[in-house]
Amino acid sequence: MIQMFHVYKTFGKDLEALVDVDLHIHKGEMVFLAGANGAGKSTLLRLIFCDELPTSGQILVNGRNLVRMKSREVPYLRRTLGIVFQDFKLLRDRTVEDNLTLVAKVVGMTALDAKRKVAQLLTLVGLSHKAQMAPYKLSSGEQQRVAMARALMNNPAILLADEPTGNLDAELATDVLRLLFEINAQGTTILVATHDLKLAEEAGCRTVFLKQGRIVGEWQQANRLTGWVQPQLPE
Amino acid sequence: MVEKLKYLLAYAATNLVRAGWGGLASIASIAVSFVIIGMFVLLIQHINALVAQWQEQFQVSVFLDDQITPLQIDMLKRRIENEAAVKSFTFTSKEEALTNFRRELKGQESLLEGLGDNPLPASFQLKIREGYQSSEALKTLSAYLSRLEGVEEIQYGQDWVERMSQAVRIIKLLGAIIGSVLTLGSAMIVSNTIRLAVYARAQEIEIMRLVGATKAYIRAPFLVEGMLQGGLGAALALGALFAAYRFVAPTFTVTSPLFLRTTGQGFMESSIMVGLVVGGAAIGALGSAMAVSRFLKT
Repeated sequence: MIQMFHVYKTFGKDLEALVDVDLHIHKGEMVFLAGANGAGKSTLLRLIFCDELPTSGQILVNGRNLVRMKSREVPYLRRTLGIVFQDFKLLRDRTVEDNLTLVAKVVGMTALDAKRKVAQLLTLVGLSHKAQMAPYKLSSGEQQRVAMARALMNNPAILLADEPTGNLDAELATDVLRLLFEINAQGTTILVATHDLKLAEEAGCRTVFLKQGRIVGEWQQANRLTGWVQPQLPE
Repeated sequence: MVEKLKYLLAYAATNLVRAGWGGLASIASIAVSFVIIGMFVLLIQHINALVAQWQEQFQVSVFLDDQITPLQIDMLKRRIENEAAVKSFTFTSKEEALTNFRRELKGQESLLEGLGDNPLPASFQLKIREGYQSSEALKTLSAYLSRLEGVEEIQYGQDWVERMSQAVRIIKLLGAIIGSVLTLGSAMIVSNTIRLAVYARAQEIEIMRLVGATKAYIRAPFLVEGMLQGGLGAALALGALFAAYRFVAPTFTVTSPLFLRTTGQGFMESSIMVGLVVGGAAIGALGSAMAVSRFLKT
């Protein structure tokens, strides 16, 4: 689903954000990308949704080669992705429902389909009763769930989440994790960037470690009964 | 297509309303720019009207020799008729000149009693075509006429013509310079104002971009909004100017009789008003498009 071959990304002359990254994520997988701030997690995600182009290397997403893609094709790639940001990026001057409907309009859904989809997703994230509220009146956890609902509006094949629990306390983080599992169970491939090792551990998913732009290690998916397959942490 | 247009207009209008005071403030500052341009247009219009009025009234007097024969007068008439510079002319005989003079001296006719013979010459009054009113053209015409038999003197206020045509030249040049500076300045203010409005919505643009909106899809509502803002600003400015022109300016006629009384000008020509509103909309759209492009890398 996502394949990266020897990907380098350098900003300016010598700021190496990603160095020789090889990453393969299969359809239906849920993978964590762990690392400290500045390790290159967000850059890696941005390469996947074409916000940046790699300095060298190849990236295939959903069978499309991003390096060769024309800029007018980029919006159509993005319509197959859902993106959740740490800072939610919800529009303050619209209701929760309008924030979701914005996506529906962009992808050309009919008004009726959009309404149905909004209702369905708000039920999934447990916020049906807050559809008409302005996002800034919601708690951080609720805002994160709205952001996730918005990311799912276009039935994405891949969900990218950048620090989805970064602003949340432990309990709310677990809620978000549960929601991610639920979404993954419906077939959506998920890539979560986090600096929170505990969250990755709790999730028990395959976890790729980034340090200074390089992949430095990987946990394989945990067997839910026996624990980690390769439980040693890199360094 | 119609649906799309309706959606765009509705969306742009909603955004303007949503922007609230911010939206009003940007329309108002656009309006201020257009008030300045509009005032300038009015000023130029009045100056043009004044010049036209002066040109209309302008005439050359050809005074004739007292010894001129009726035959010579006829020949002169024919010459003048065939002169390209002359739009129309009238002939005043010695007697008519005296009658006119008497009329002008109404109440003081006694002054004329000691005169004996009629001292006033017969004359032609020539109205000059617009293109021939420059001092050079008048000099040529006057030189030609003064060589004709029976012509004693030509008068057209030589000094005045020279000064006036120089003044008109300077006014036109200044007008062009000030006009261009004003237009450029206003265009910058308008597009910057709209740019600020667009920057305030950077996040919305970013979100639309990231959920897969095409550039055209993102740009369209902003273009319409910029057009609305620019057009509304210009229209508002015209409204304010019109009100000022109708209700406030007449009270100043004592200090500015030149511009408000003598020309008898109406408000701006409708084609200019339409031009200003369309110009405002165009600058708005352009400023908006440029601002949005900054956020639309891919």
